[in-house]
Amino acid sequence: MASGAPASTARWGDWGGEESMAQSSRNIREVKIFRYDPSTAGEGHFDSYTLEIPDETTTTILDVLLRVQREQDPSVAFRYACRVNMCGSCGMVINGKDALACKTNVSNIPPGKEITLRPLNHFPVIRDLVVDMEPFFKKYVETLPFYEPKENYLEPVMIRPDSQERKDIGLATECIACGCCVSSCTMCHYHDGYAGPAALNRAFTLLADSRDGLFQPRLERALESCYNCRTEFNCTEVCPKNISGTRAIKYIQRLALKHYAHEPEPAKIAVPEAPPILAPALDRRTFLTQLGVGVLGAGSALVLGAVATGSMVGPTLAKAPKQWVPVSALENIKPGNVTTVLMKYETKSSLYTQQFSLPVLVSHTGNDIVCFKSACPHLGCVVKWDALAGRFRCSCHGGNFDRDGNVIAGPPPRPLDRYAFKVDAGHLFVEVG
Amino acid sequence: MTTLASSKEAGEGDPVDNFAIDYRKPLRWGELDPHRRENAKIGMWAWLWQRISALAIVVLLALHVVLTYKLFIQFLLLLTVTFHATLGLRVILLDFNLVDVKYQRALVWGLMTLGLVVVLTIWFSIH
Repeated sequence: MASGAPASTARWGDWGGEESMAQSSRNIREVKIFRYDPSTAGEGHFDSYTLEIPDETTTTILDVLLRVQREQDPSVAFRYACRVNMCGSCGMVINGKDALACKTNVSNIPPGKEITLRPLNHFPVIRDLVVDMEPFFKKYVETLPFYEPKENYLEPVMIRPDSQERKDIGLATECIACGCCVSSCTMCHYHDGYAGPAALNRAFTLLADSRDGLFQPRLERALESCYNCRTEFNCTEVCPKNISGTRAIKYIQRLALKHYAHEPEPAKIAVPEAPPILAPALDRRTFLTQLGVGVLGAGSALVLGAVATGSMVGPTLAKAPKQWVPVSALENIKPGNVTTVLMKYETKSSLYTQQFSLPVLVSHTGNDIVCFKSACPHLGCVVKWDALAGRFRCSCHGGNFDRDGNVIAGPPPRPLDRYAFKVDAGHLFVEVG
Repeated sequence: MTTLASSKEAGEGDPVDNFAIDYRKPLRWGELDPHRRENAKIGMWAWLWQRISALAIVVLLALHVVLTYKLFIQFLLLLTVTFHATLGLRVILLDFNLVDVKYQRALVWGLMTLGLVVVLTIWFSIH
């Protein structure tokens, strides 16, 4: 399997012997392995090894590691057992993807590219590629990963292979607990209490099983953490057994919809001793970081909100400043007549500009000028001057005003409103605002 | 393994205990990983870009209120909202098992194309 001597491999003759020297020189790969030595501690680093790999399609990453250990550096530490994708011991990050070293062939990595091996994410590193899987199994146990029958059946209880329940569970029971999914899930880093895809997948296989007696307590435990899933599908992408953790988690979330609509039944069977769902102890540093982020976030949100609200809403609530608006040249206002002139002006409220175009009723009696607003004091309809009748008429509800603006008829509660006005350099100005 | 961990606890502060070793703190996803970028899959991006587009919507909405009737901002806002909504629809469809999770990759592109076609059709029929 890991033989480096081409002469001894006549069986696969195409890469043996001297005539294929050119080909074997093409099959040299650089292997970068993450190294961490607990006796010196530190961050860890990568060591590079160069390895000739004669046939990449029949060489697994585990073979590569064994050869590096045997031929170049006996101190490289990694974990493996079955070598045939059954035990889940050799999970590691291979060129950025969490996978089993024994299931990944060198040929799966693009030709000529270096092979980078890192320990699994989200687990404490013991040495080199070996991680401490204890957090993984602790969370596994928290979801009650064992079958407890509802009653003491005397005969084996069969689940029909064509039943919906069996189809739902499918091959999700094939999990080998290699930890690749937890390593690939970015939410496992951000939420310490998150059970992770593997544990929730295990819970799902039992929750979907109608024979199981621990439905309620298991559902409660699973729901404690299953909403941390952000539907990233990383666990599904990397699972060496093609199980979808996301699918399992969504299934549990849907179970919650069905089962929390009514009162949950108390569990008939005593829950076996299991560690409580841990609320991870906050260390000082984490607490301060979280506090800092919280205060910073809330502070900036508050400041931004206050500034935005202040600048947007404030000016609209404030009374618009008064301004003098030119209405007409004085020569256009004939004495003895009521003249209707259109006045145009605009007001600014924060960033919003509003344009007005309003008629003004200017009554010139010969020695006096009065500027009436054209809005009826009743409900604001436009008031017009009726020259024949010599009165102002509102078009809506029959309000009539005499030439001085006093109510003659109709519902208006008070005389016509007037503008303050002034005459400046032959122009008539009225005050608005 | 268990022996290692338990003897580590037992041997804390005991210099004679050979098993009192320092674990390296867990590596984060992508930490010290030259291949991090190429292995970020579409589902991750779908999640991340939905969050980013949410922030973009807040900014664009403010701009939309301040600078009224600017076609460019309206169009940009419409595109961002469409993008955000399609990614949200993806999660809803998956949550309620309306689409099988095995189509999750196709769902991202499919919904986005559908959303874009609908929105562009509406936009160009108005303007």
